[in-house]
Amino acid sequence: MSKILGIDLGTTNSAIAVMEGGEPRVLENQEGNRTTPSIVAVSKSGERLVGLLAKRQSVVNPKNTIFSVKRLVGRKFTDSEVQNDKNWLPYEIKAGENGGVEIKMSAQGGSPPKEDGPRAHASGGNDRWYKPEEISAMVLQKLKADAEAKLGEKIEEAVITVPAYFDDAERQATKNAGEIAGFKVRRIINEPTAAALAYGLNRQKEEKIVVYDFGGGTFDISILEVGDDTVEVKATGGDTHLGGDDFDKRIIEYLTQEYKRREGIDISKDSLALQRLKEAAERAKHELSTTLETEINLPYITSDSAGPKHFLMKLSRAKLDDLVKDMIDRSIDLLKEAVTAPPPKGAGIKLSDIDEIVLVGGQTRMPAIQEAVKKLFHKDPHQGINPDEVVAVGAAIQAGILQGDVKDVLLLDVTPLTLSIETLGGVATPMIPKNTTIPTAKTQIFSTAADNQTSVEIHVGQGERPMMADNKTLARFILDGLPPAPRGIPQVEVTFDIDANGILNVKAEDKATNKGQSVKIEATTSLNKEEVEKLKKEAAEHAEEDQRKKGLIETKNNAESLIYTAEKSLKDMGDKIDAKVKEDIIEKINRLKSVKDGDNLEDTRSALNDLSAELQKAGGAMYNKKEEPPH
Amino acid sequence: MSDNKDEDKEDKNSGGELEKCRKEREEYLDGWKRAKADFANYKKEEALRLENFLKFSNELMVRDLVGVLDSFDLGLAVLGYDDPGRKGMCLIQNQLEDQLKKYGLERIPSALGKSFDPSLHEAVAEIDSEKSPGIVVEEIEKGYKLHGKVIRPVRVKISKGQLTDNNKQ
Repeated sequence: MSKILGIDLGTTNSAIAVMEGGEPRVLENQEGNRTTPSIVAVSKSGERLVGLLAKRQSVVNPKNTIFSVKRLVGRKFTDSEVQNDKNWLPYEIKAGENGGVEIKMSAQGGSPPKEDGPRAHASGGNDRWYKPEEISAMVLQKLKADAEAKLGEKIEEAVITVPAYFDDAERQATKNAGEIAGFKVRRIINEPTAAALAYGLNRQKEEKIVVYDFGGGTFDISILEVGDDTVEVKATGGDTHLGGDDFDKRIIEYLTQEYKRREGIDISKDSLALQRLKEAAERAKHELSTTLETEINLPYITSDSAGPKHFLMKLSRAKLDDLVKDMIDRSIDLLKEAVTAPPPKGAGIKLSDIDEIVLVGGQTRMPAIQEAVKKLFHKDPHQGINPDEVVAVGAAIQAGILQGDVKDVLLLDVTPLTLSIETLGGVATPMIPKNTTIPTAKTQIFSTAADNQTSVEIHVGQGERPMMADNKTLARFILDGLPPAPRGIPQVEVTFDIDANGILNVKAEDKATNKGQSVKIEATTSLNKEEVEKLKKEAAEHAEEDQRKKGLIETKNNAESLIYTAEKSLKDMGDKIDAKVKEDIIEKINRLKSVKDGDNLEDTRSALNDLSAELQKAGGAMYNKKEEPPH
Repeated sequence: MSDNKDEDKEDKNSGGELEKCRKEREEYLDGWKRAKADFANYKKEEALRLENFLKFSNELMVRDLVGVLDSFDLGLAVLGYDDPGRKGMCLIQNQLEDQLKKYGLERIPSALGKSFDPSLHEAVAEIDSEKSPGIVVEEIEKGYKLHGKVIRPVRVKISKGQLTDNNKQ
């Protein structure tokens, strides 16, 4: 069975992803980009162009470059929204059969100018009227071809996402588009549901999720309720004509006005200057998501009678926030309304009823948006998956569920917290780190801490803190019957094995006698979410203090080990060492012994280094003695 | 008789159970094989991806530096041909471009006089000209490729072709 493609068919851009080895993977298109403009054109030379190439010629071929077709899919021509869109869309649309919309696009490209007048018949006899789904199909066809080229296999099935507010006609039209493109459309799913799926929120029970999707050209809000294996859309809202592109326009407007104010030159009419400014504005917007201030530096932007002029301006995050504040505020008002307004306008619930927040769309990288959303709900939104790709990732996960890669019963879980074993000084030594996919097993050899130690205690714990006492104990058992031996010599092999059901098996075996002990711990992954969060939070809060404590213990362990080695060396080779050197070593040993149990890390470290240096000196002297030629 | 009936029932039950097990076995075996194949493919693709990653890891930096090359172009255009500073500036531009070439950057050949090709060019305007329609008449920004991938198309103005028509009239 071939793979099922997950497709986010967007208004401005589209993205595709597949499941691979149980993980979603976003596929690059033929041009090497992870998103594809949802644009179709017939070029002046009669070629059909889709995606980036269509975009590159849109300025000079506006009548035959079709974009934002998603706004028209499945709609009646008489819809007020379609009538509004008609006013600003540069291409022609008309009422088709059954009252739907039809779009004019040249079938073979614009006709060359005729001798009897320039372009008078530019739309001559070559025009064809297309249904919106036929245009969408052309985008889907390209995505299909790109996916096939990337994966090297045929793709026949797809999961396509649509906005939650799409009605049956719009969904059917999207499905038809998929079928025209040669897909068997396995499922049409809601974009917000896909986003929630990408974050695994479909597995939460009885939760209310808000999805805030700020795309390039549209702003969508959806309130979802997750029940038993179902995701119900409680309400939708937003503004189909608000997007990140408006932010870019605002920045460019500000920059050109500011330049005019400073230099007295209007660069908004100069196509090269404007092009450079547009790119710089976009880059500045991106940079200000991570820095507080950026500099826009465009040398030789223009010139006047006095010579060349340069563009050098600083833009701060605060200024950017100020420039787009009204748009962010509007989005928050719409969000509030969608959550609290009584149905059908909103979900009719309290803001505090919302359990999870998911941000979708590149514009949500902007810190001001993240803060505004956080302030409204007093909760951190989900982040981590690229907001431009999260819908495609969710579509791929849905595809994976359909093709059997992801099954609720076979869903591979991860260990929520680190599983560790206690070692000398109460240190939690990690065996299986958190977020490891299970089933998994890990084996490590440990040894004894004292001479003639005949038993070891295996203490198994769970948690992120470096000291075992701060973590949760899962089990303790004793492995005894070790043959007496100097410290560090016995080899105890400890194995942690977690099966697919989250059951942990811990086994300890003495390599010399093959004597073993084991314990089975049920449900290591069954901690509830709050417990896991609490433990992680504690770990983060105590990170510094814990690190210091662990450092102290490790140094103490090193000190004990070195004292042991030093005393043993003195006993074994005392007669070969100069009395003076021997005295020095003993003095250093005593000093280390006196400080090692204290709380002063620096003292212990310096005493440790001193003893180590002294021992090396003694060792070196012994070798030198050996190498002396015989007399 | 009743004993036989019970046995039949049991047989049927165990038959059903066996069938269920068989089905499950098929499903699991298939899943396992697919996971194995996926993993093998993943490893191959990962190697390729790593190769591409190394090739394109500096793409963002190179893109930013292309902006510096543009500024040189604009600066040189302003300086007269006999300007004493021109040569030095040319040399610095070449130096920067040569260094970037080592990392896979190449300039897309001039588009002037050629037919507009959206795989290499981006049209920013259409202007009246004596050239045939669709011919590039002005190049406003140079284009670049990184290891064969267009990281910036040549920004061009193309001919509407109207001057020819008007002249003919």
